[in-house]
Amino acid sequence: MAKHYSSFERGNWRWFLQRITAIFLIGALAFHFVTLHFINHAAEISFAGSQARMSEIGYFSLMVTFLVAGAFHGVNGVYNGLVNAGLDGRQKQIVGGILIVATLLLIGQGLRVAVAMTTLF
Amino acid sequence: MSTQLEQETEVEEEPTESRESVAQRLSEKRRQQIQEDLDSAEKTIQLKVFRYDPEIEGKMEPRFDSFQVPFHKGMTVLDALIYARDKYDSSLTFRHSCRQAVCGSDALFVNGQQRLGCKTQLGDLEHPVRIEPLPHQDVVKDLVVDMEHFYDQMHAVEPYFDPDELPEGELEEQRQTPENREKVKLSTRCIWCGACMSSCNIAAGDNKYLGPAAINKAYRFAMDEREGTDRKKERLRIVEQEHGVWRCQTQFSCTEVCPKDIPLTEHIQALKRESIKNNLKFW
Amino acid sequence: MAQSYDRGAVESFGRWREFQAGMWAWILHKLTGWILVGYLFTHIAVLSTAVGVDPGAAATEMDTYTQTLQGLEGLLIVRFLEIGLLTVAVFHILNGIRLLFVDLGLGLDVQDASFYASLILTALITLSSLPTFLGGAL
Repeated sequence: MAKHYSSFERGNWRWFLQRITAIFLIGALAFHFVTLHFINHAAEISFAGSQARMSEIGYFSLMVTFLVAGAFHGVNGVYNGLVNAGLDGRQKQIVGGILIVATLLLIGQGLRVAVAMTTLF
Repeated sequence: MSTQLEQETEVEEEPTESRESVAQRLSEKRRQQIQEDLDSAEKTIQLKVFRYDPEIEGKMEPRFDSFQVPFHKGMTVLDALIYARDKYDSSLTFRHSCRQAVCGSDALFVNGQQRLGCKTQLGDLEHPVRIEPLPHQDVVKDLVVDMEHFYDQMHAVEPYFDPDELPEGELEEQRQTPENREKVKLSTRCIWCGACMSSCNIAAGDNKYLGPAAINKAYRFAMDEREGTDRKKERLRIVEQEHGVWRCQTQFSCTEVCPKDIPLTEHIQALKRESIKNNLKFW
Repeated sequence: MAQSYDRGAVESFGRWREFQAGMWAWILHKLTGWILVGYLFTHIAVLSTAVGVDPGAAATEMDTYTQTLQGLEGLLIVRFLEIGLLTVAVFHILNGIRLLFVDLGLGLDVQDASFYASLILTALITLSSLPTFLGGAL
């Protein structure tokens, strides 16, 4: 009976994922800030330094997950804010499409950057 | 005969004249009485009331009218409005009925917050007291707003008791545990006043949003154990549409303004959790 | 009902003085959210200077990436923007934690107090991080 309606219509999986990514992002963002401002100083960032960090598989995978989670959480938040303000109908579909494309581009470019910084691949 | 004719014409002239002088006499009398009331009261309070009437030339542009009312201890905003209407301006229009906070007719925007007129003590408010119609709804006249949209949202959640199956015996009751009753108790108190919906920014922005009152009603029935699991699933399906529970951003304004102290946000959150729990099972 | 007067949704924001904690929390969470999304796109754009870096240049810190980032970090305005970013991110995280509790149905009766607590904590964390963030530039 539940397969009756596509879960896409119901809007609950996006709400749920927003919370799941939120929990992950709390830790990831805090870690990122501490690593890059307190442990390493932002003023001393160099390609060599970044490369050293990103060549460690644990850190690399954390950063990639961080990128994907952050992209989803942020763009989903923007989408919800717009729907709350009354975005509806055809406009909503168009904006939704644009946002999905923007997210994919962001993640794509982010992955390119990550690969450029690592010696793993 | 001639005297009769004379008398007749005299009689014809008199009514128009005396009607005007009657009116003048009455308004003077009324003014005197108002002055007596004001003088004998311990203090007077100024009301600033929103006026608007699309059918009267002078009132097509909204404005605020001031009324000075005599204050007595225990006076409510509704009492003050009735005084203003009865003594000053009988065209002042507002909804009211029970005057004891059960009918939900007199939800107003008083000094910047949604309140029930009959439940708000004048003595608790800062003066002058600003009285406006509920925000985010179309104003029909003076303090009366169009409640149709609110009723549409309420009806959309099927706000009536509708069990899956009836008990076996003909005279058998439908049992409910005291714990279950406790769970839905607060949600049964809704008087359909519309204060909550008018305080919600999402309801203001998104016209399709069901609104706190409707979702609370859905909660009241979905959580009632007498209705059965199938009925509950159907009810949840209505509120878990995109413009249902998910639009709530936990602004808490609805909970703040509810005159019946219903924890609306809490109930909406509970339905969100119910929906997730139900849907996770099928993954 | 012949005609009616639509006062619109905009009048809410004119009443900002009457806003309660929950309303402020929602507005600030949205605002900080938009800022963070905007920053995320900008951040990836800036980091893109790492693509196609010449290893030789990298060894002497003369590559595009290092030069861009160190150059930016050298600007005082950028340091202040970073502090702003910290404030925005910390508030969004702390209020986000508050919202997660609300979603779980915990602590709803202290929801306004928890908003004020997140504001205060945000201020404390920002202030205590000032020396680190401005260090090296002053």
